[in-house]
Amino acid sequence: MRTKKGFNLRTLGNEFVLTAEGLEVSDVNKMVSMNASAAFLWKEVEGKDFDAETLTGLLLGEYDIDREVAEKDAARLVRTWKEANIVEDY
Amino acid sequence: MKKIYQVAGHRFSVVMPDSHLAWGEMTPYEPFLVENDNDLAFSIEMVDALPDTSGKHKITVSCEAPDAPRIVLYDWNGIWLMEIAPTSEAPMRVCLLVDKAFKKAQFRVLGSLRFSIGTVMMLMFAFSTAQKSTLLMHSSVTVKDGKGYLFLGKSGTGKSTHSRLWIGNIPGCELLNDDNPVLRVMDDGEVRVYGSPWSGKTPCYRNLDYPVGAIVNLKQAKANTIRQLSLVEAYAAMYVSFSGYRFIKEMADGLHATNERIVTSVPCFGLDCLPNAEAAWLCYNNVSK
Repeated sequence: MRTKKGFNLRTLGNEFVLTAEGLEVSDVNKMVSMNASAAFLWKEVEGKDFDAETLTGLLLGEYDIDREVAEKDAARLVRTWKEANIVEDY
Repeated sequence: MKKIYQVAGHRFSVVMPDSHLAWGEMTPYEPFLVENDNDLAFSIEMVDALPDTSGKHKITVSCEAPDAPRIVLYDWNGIWLMEIAPTSEAPMRVCLLVDKAFKKAQFRVLGSLRFSIGTVMMLMFAFSTAQKSTLLMHSSVTVKDGKGYLFLGKSGTGKSTHSRLWIGNIPGCELLNDDNPVLRVMDDGEVRVYGSPWSGKTPCYRNLDYPVGAIVNLKQAKANTIRQLSLVEAYAAMYVSFSGYRFIKEMADGLHATNERIVTSVPCFGLDCLPNAEAAWLCYNNVSK
């Protein structure tokens, strides 16, 4: 899958929000709040082809966690991003 | 004839033919007249005819609500052409040609003078100051004890009504602006709210400014409750209360930076309310602490 075009990741104090600012998403009337690890992953995969395994690898590289935990987090995040309609199959 | 105005510290010049009826629509701007024409944020000129813009290329149509103005934006030879109508159904009433930095504009009136001039001035002001720590807000602002309180909310929520409830019930309140005040983050980080020549249906064109006491996002409800908003909630409530072409990256970045500085320094609240005096008192007692 790929991240949809037109979204911008914005820093807000210690938090992050994804805003729909491009013409590609001019009909999108929402923003998605993200925690630091989700924002890290979004920045890493933005505009690239990725799947849950890509996210797992990135999490393992960045954080000191077990593969099992990373896989679970990655799978959950992919579900959340699909539900939020901010990624698309490519 | 050329006149210079200064709103929220930003100067702009307006050129229109001498003794044109359009000057009659500039009465709300008179409190903002200045002599100094240095360092203009933008300049705008009324013309009888615009160049032939065939070959223009449509970029986007913005219409935030059925009863809100509809703006069609074109790129024509590297400059912007905007055609603007008062509602989604109405015919185009004004055309505006402006460079991509929103510094120098020409406009041609096709219909209502009042609508054309108000819209063109507001657009130019908002777009040319978007990278200058400035937001042209959709809000009603009441002043109490030297601080400005901004009421936000969707059209029809009761922003003006809530201002009137403060003024009618809480001693010492007065209206600063009822529709389009300006927020500005100063160099020292202070957030100030300014009156403007744009105030919706209420004629209240005051050239005054105050530090912001709080920002309150209103929603209609069956009972009155208030709570402090999280950073993300405050950012989102503000985000829909000012406009700009966010697909223009520099503009979106400027608006974001200003919004972030405001919501991280000004207390922001969510008020679920009825249109009654109790709502005004509940709000005032919580936000003025």
